[in-house]
Order: sequence, then C-alpha cells, then structure tokens
Amino acid sequence: MSKPSSKPLTENEKIRYHRQMIFPGWGEKTQEKLKKSRVFVAGAGGLGSPVSLYLAVAGTGVIRICDFGEPELSNLNRQILHDDSRIGKNKALSAKETIERINPDVKVEPLKDKITRESVSFLVGEVDLIIDCLDNFDTRHILNRYAVQNSIPMIHAGVYGMQGQLTFIKTPETPCLWCINAGSPPPVVFPIVGATAGVMGCVQALEAIKYLSGIGSNLLGTLLIWDGTSMEFNHLPQKKTPDCPVCGDAL
Amino acid sequence: MTLNTKELIRYQRQMLINNWGEGGQEKLRSSTVFIAGAGGLGSPVAIYLTAAGIGQIRICDFGKPELSNLNRQILHAESDIEKNKALSARETLFNINPHVNVVPLTVKLTENTVDELVGESDIILDCLDNFDTRHILNQYAVQKKLPMVHAGIHGLSGQITFIHSPETPCLHCIFPGSTPNQIFPVAGVTPGVIGVLEALEAIKWILGIGVNLKGKLLTWDGELMEFCKIEIKKDPNCPVCG
Ligand SMILES: [Zn+2]
Ligand SMILES: [Zn+2]
Repeated sequence: MSKPSSKPLTENEKIRYHRQMIFPGWGEKTQEKLKKSRVFVAGAGGLGSPVSLYLAVAGTGVIRICDFGEPELSNLNRQILHDDSRIGKNKALSAKETIERINPDVKVEPLKDKITRESVSFLVGEVDLIIDCLDNFDTRHILNRYAVQNSIPMIHAGVYGMQGQLTFIKTPETPCLWCINAGSPPPVVFPIVGATAGVMGCVQALEAIKYLSGIGSNLLGTLLIWDGTSMEFNHLPQKKTPDCPVCGDAL
Repeated sequence: MTLNTKELIRYQRQMLINNWGEGGQEKLRSSTVFIAGAGGLGSPVAIYLTAAGIGQIRICDFGKPELSNLNRQILHAESDIEKNKALSARETLFNINPHVNVVPLTVKLTENTVDELVGESDIILDCLDNFDTRHILNQYAVQKKLPMVHAGIHGLSGQITFIHSPETPCLHCIFPGSTPNQIFPVAGVTPGVIGVLEALEAIKWILGIGVNLKGKLLTWDGELMEFCKIEIKKDPNCPVCG
C-alpha cells in the first residue's frame, strides 16, 4: 500500500495548484492536506471517471480505484477514463493509465476485485473517505455497512437518464444509505448519458475536496436531487431510521 | 445516413432516454458546435460532447497549456505544454471518440475572425475566461440568431444561462460591462460542474429534450452546494439586442 507523501509541496506543485491555493482559506497548508489524503473510489465507470480525474488534478495524494469489469463499447458514451484501445483491459488498470497521465504526482492503486462482504475490508483499506460510484444497490449496501462500522465518511451518488442524486453520509451524525434507500431495486440496463454522470461525479469530487480540506460545508443529512431536463436542483432533508439494521441504536 | 452497428452499441445507453432514440443520435451526428476556449470550461464541454457523439466540434483557443492550468484543464497533460490548446484538445478528443470530427482553431477570437471561426455551427458554447471576448461572441450570436450557452466561474462558484435572442435576453442585457482581467481563484471541479451542465444544455437543445435555461440564470455556490435560478429580463435599451 503506498503511503501518501508527507513532504512539503515541491516548486512544481506550487505552480500546478496555484489557482486553487489562492482560494480564500486554501493555501499551501490545505494543499498539503490533500496531498496526504487517501480516498477509495468504488467503480471506474460513469461516475468514477470524473470523480477520479478531478480528484487527481486537484492533487489528492492516493486514489484507490476499484473495478472488476472491463470497458465495453457501450460504456464509452460516459466512461471517459477509458477509450476504444482499452476494451478488454481491466477498468481499474485502465483508470490508472489515464489518471497518471493527467497528473503523475498522484498515486493510483488499482484494485481489480469485486466488492463483496468478504473483500470489502481488504479493498477499502485505510482511507479517509469512500466515494460510491457504483451502479447497483447490492454492492452499495455492502460498502455502506463497512463505512458505518468503521466510521469512514461516504459520498453516495446515483444516476438515471438525465437525473441524479447525491448525499454525504457520516454516521452517527447523518443517516446511512440504508436509512435513505433501504433495499435494492433489481439491476436493469437503464438509460444514461455521459453528462449526467459527469455532473454528479464532479459534485461528488467537490464534496470530497471540501471534506478533505475542511473548506465549506457538506451535504450532511441532505439529499441533493437533480433533474437535468429542467435543471432543477433540490435539497431534501433526510432522517435516520431509528431501527435501521445498519446504523440503528439497537446495534 | 443511418447509424452503423458500432455507433448503435456505443450510444445504446443514451438512446434509451425518452425522445432520444436513433433519430436523436442521428441529429447529434449531423450537428456542429463551436466551443470558444479549450480551458477549464472547454475541457469538460468538449469531452462530454465528444463522448455523446456530436458530428463536428469546432474548438477555438490561441493559447498554450501551462503548468498552472493543469489543476482544471483536463484536455491537456504535462506533455502537451507548449502545444497549442486547440491542437492538444483534438488529440485528447480523438482518443475519446474517433467518430467525432474535431476542427482545431488556433486563432484569437476577435471582431474580425469571429465569423470565419464559428463557421456553420448550430450552437455556440461560451467557455471563455474574459468578458471582452464574450461580448464579441454575444454580438455575433445575436446577429446570426445562433443559440449560445454562457457560463462563468470563480473560486467554487459558477453561473450558466441559455441565450437565444430575440427569445431571451442577450449577454449584454445581463452583464453589460467587462470586468478587468485578473488571476482569480479556481479549482478544477468548478468548471467541471458548470462545463458538464453546458454540454447537457447543448445536447438538450439539439435533441429538443427538456427545457433549457432560457431567460434564467442558474447560479451555483459550491461551498454550500446551493443552486439558484434567477429570472433575467431583456434590457429594452440594449445596444446589442435592443
Ligand atoms: Zn441507517
Ligand atoms: Zn441584449
């Protein structure tokens, strides 16, 4: 497992990140915090693509990116980490190639296994934050349980067609994913355009950067609902389920 | 020409969207967009329009990528420093989708060049970083009755609106002046969010799906993750569209 660097910023990094470091409250200290951060990106698909690319250009220290699948032609309308030449490779390995080209300062740890109850602990490892870029609720609930048990914050996002939703989960402060979306709808091939995952993925990346750097406030206990056809954004307050089998008091 | 088998597979998931289908995909393929600027906004705009299968992208930038651009301009990498940005964009976009015809334009956008640069585009995407050039583009869009998606960013905030004069106010009605050019703070995800929204507004307009941000300015505060729609009105005395 690679260790995030604890060294001060190099001259190159000071230039590369200059424009974000002049943001009020950011500066070199915050940039160093980002450099020391480790994040787990679950899924290198439509959401995982913008999430990992924008975390990389922002200078996040270590990105652990996990996907057991291989890019297919029908993925390429949205999964901008991959291209025609990567078809047949593993997605996490393909992601590493793209991310390291875009910012060689960032360490990428590709993980090629499926997230299961057995593998989740080994795959997530020691990270500051989990980013849910998955496409199914069965795996999301495995990740959610792990995040709750280990008190690791998790940014959930989901997309469909031109719509999306997003929330920042940090139990016990907030409801967990099970409180918000109990159960799993059957997996289906659903409509999706790249830009939908692009918007939600960029918002996820920003929520992550804000959390890791301590800037601004996160969508804690709030579900952001977005309808791209009308460009409506809404904040829906979320409540804990008192008897939630994952985060409830009885446990 | 109908879509070939590869295109049918590549765009399968988006063609499932209501009112998209093969007809919509063919419309996208026969469309040309003009992207003014291959920087922070131009990067996600061009990348997501390319992935969606737009026919032709005319991307215009006379600058070269610098190291301090790379925290946000995901079209370019360190190895592209010293190349022209529009040419660097073409390389990146060709890898993402070889079906798209990318026309790199390496000339500065001025009153004299704007007509030739925009060419036969169906829609203009304002991915610029200064209002002087934006007003040149706006004047041209109003004269030619071309739709233009305007976006601007600063720090962790941004704004976007869909301009289509005479139906909507023009950019001059909303922002009559030019702010002095200066180095402002910006993180990559800020143009990421706003740029992808711009790409989606263009796709919706080409396909006739949903409602565009006409007469409405969407403002976004990323620190609080708050989005707000502001009604905007025409200036009856506007020197551009009045
Ligand atoms: Zn719960
Ligand atoms: Zn006007």
